[in-house]
Amino acid sequence: MTSVRWVSIVLGVLIAGAALVAFAGPAVAQDPETCLGCHTAPGMVLTFPSTEVVSVAIDAARFKNSAHGQALTCATCHPKNVEVPHPAVTAKSLKDYQRIAAGVCASCHGEAVAVFAASVHGRAQRMGFGDAPTCVTCHNPHDASRVRTAAFRNNLPQLCGTCHGDPRIMQKYGLRAVYQTYISEFHGVTTTLYKLTKPRDPTPAAICTDCHGGHDIRAAGDPASRVHPGKVLGTCQTCHPGAGRYFATAWTEHATPGPRAAPLVWYVQLFYAVLIPGTVAFLGLLTVLDLGRWATDQIRRAGKS
Amino acid sequence: MSARPQAVPRFTAGQRAQHLMLIISFNMLAFTGLPQKYFQTGWAERIIALMGGIERTRLIHRTFAVLLIGEALWHLVAVLAARRAGREHGDMGFSFADLQGIIGDFAYLLGFRREKPAFGRYDYRQKFEYWAVVWGTIVMAVTGLVMWFPETVTRVFPGVIVPASRVAHGGEALLAMLAVIIWHFYNAHFRPDIFPMDRTMWTGEMPLARLRHDHRAEYERLMGAEEPPAS
Repeated sequence: MTSVRWVSIVLGVLIAGAALVAFAGPAVAQDPETCLGCHTAPGMVLTFPSTEVVSVAIDAARFKNSAHGQALTCATCHPKNVEVPHPAVTAKSLKDYQRIAAGVCASCHGEAVAVFAASVHGRAQRMGFGDAPTCVTCHNPHDASRVRTAAFRNNLPQLCGTCHGDPRIMQKYGLRAVYQTYISEFHGVTTTLYKLTKPRDPTPAAICTDCHGGHDIRAAGDPASRVHPGKVLGTCQTCHPGAGRYFATAWTEHATPGPRAAPLVWYVQLFYAVLIPGTVAFLGLLTVLDLGRWATDQIRRAGKS
Repeated sequence: MSARPQAVPRFTAGQRAQHLMLIISFNMLAFTGLPQKYFQTGWAERIIALMGGIERTRLIHRTFAVLLIGEALWHLVAVLAARRAGREHGDMGFSFADLQGIIGDFAYLLGFRREKPAFGRYDYRQKFEYWAVVWGTIVMAVTGLVMWFPETVTRVFPGVIVPASRVAHGGEALLAMLAVIIWHFYNAHFRPDIFPMDRTMWTGEMPLARLRHDHRAEYERLMGAEEPPAS
């Protein structure tokens, strides 16, 4: 009897000890609820050795409604972080971190990542240009909006414009800030008005990616680019099937009209810049003179009577 | 001896109908066009939303543009027909007398002479306005059609005329609106002796007293042809 009791006691202690060891070791977070227990605290940040800071707080509602939130858990993309505390981040900078993250994206979006790598942006990234976009620059993984929605389409020029509308960024690469010229051009006007007055309908006017491509974007001078002089008319014709042979020259290439770029447009601007104030001044003068003569006659008549 | 008429005919029913068409199309084109020119403003956004979006706004704009072009063609045909029938004597044409009229009118307005110059059927201000409408309609119709059919236009013409047309269309529109607000509203509405409006374009007739004051040469021509004014 005694030996049997001892065996059960020893076994019990061993099992309990094993359980204790198992639970005292690194805790394991598997479901998003566990992660969001911490990661909803506002102001929660990760600091890189480069002193860059990135927010690691997640908007739970937006994540759940996003394309990713409905199919994936945190651990799908952050497998190492199932351990708590999380292992140290090896990336030296935010861009470094995002570049490593592209490998995570590739596990599902392999084709897009491969196409992007061949693009001018992918090339710039490999060459180490800090401003080159990565996947998450345009697609927030924690709020992944569906790219085929009207909202994504109507807001896309603004998204590109965060860099391509900033002359400080663009001048480093010998590029012009083109966003503003798009917005003031015919297609941009339509897109802006759709965004403002019909946000639920996708703009029918061309947006950046319709002409330049998205993940596969290339430099305009690259013969493979859709906007290369040899190909641009064909690109126009995807929306304007009847476009005449000179149609592409209607596009002022994101240039602000001047004596050299689209001079005809510039001369027309100049013509009206002179004609409008000139005409208004002349007609205004005649009106004032007319009223003056009338007033003088009134006063004279009143004086006589 | 017949009683002297109190007013003389000035515009035919057709001309008055053309003017009405011009009022309707001009205002609708301005109302649907201005928010397209100043699309980034809040009021433009509200007007375009009110009309059901930019596509619908453009449809309304183009509909009234067709009305205006139709009115312009009607006018052209009517002028040519009147010429052929001998009813039209080039009264709207500019001549040396207009230069004298401008100088004389400035002298009158500045108080250097007592009387207004003896203007003909149309004075220089009216001629200026008429030809401004002709010029403006041609510019707006041509540039508007270029923007409406850029694919077809660029089969023959260089593409740069498309953005140039857009600039010209907006500039000419602004010029036309300002000219109407300052010039036409003053001369046809706010002139103290005319206020609130010159009814000639509605009734087709001008009172003799005004004709004598504003268009003395024409008054004398008409009266001389009939009988000398009773003294």
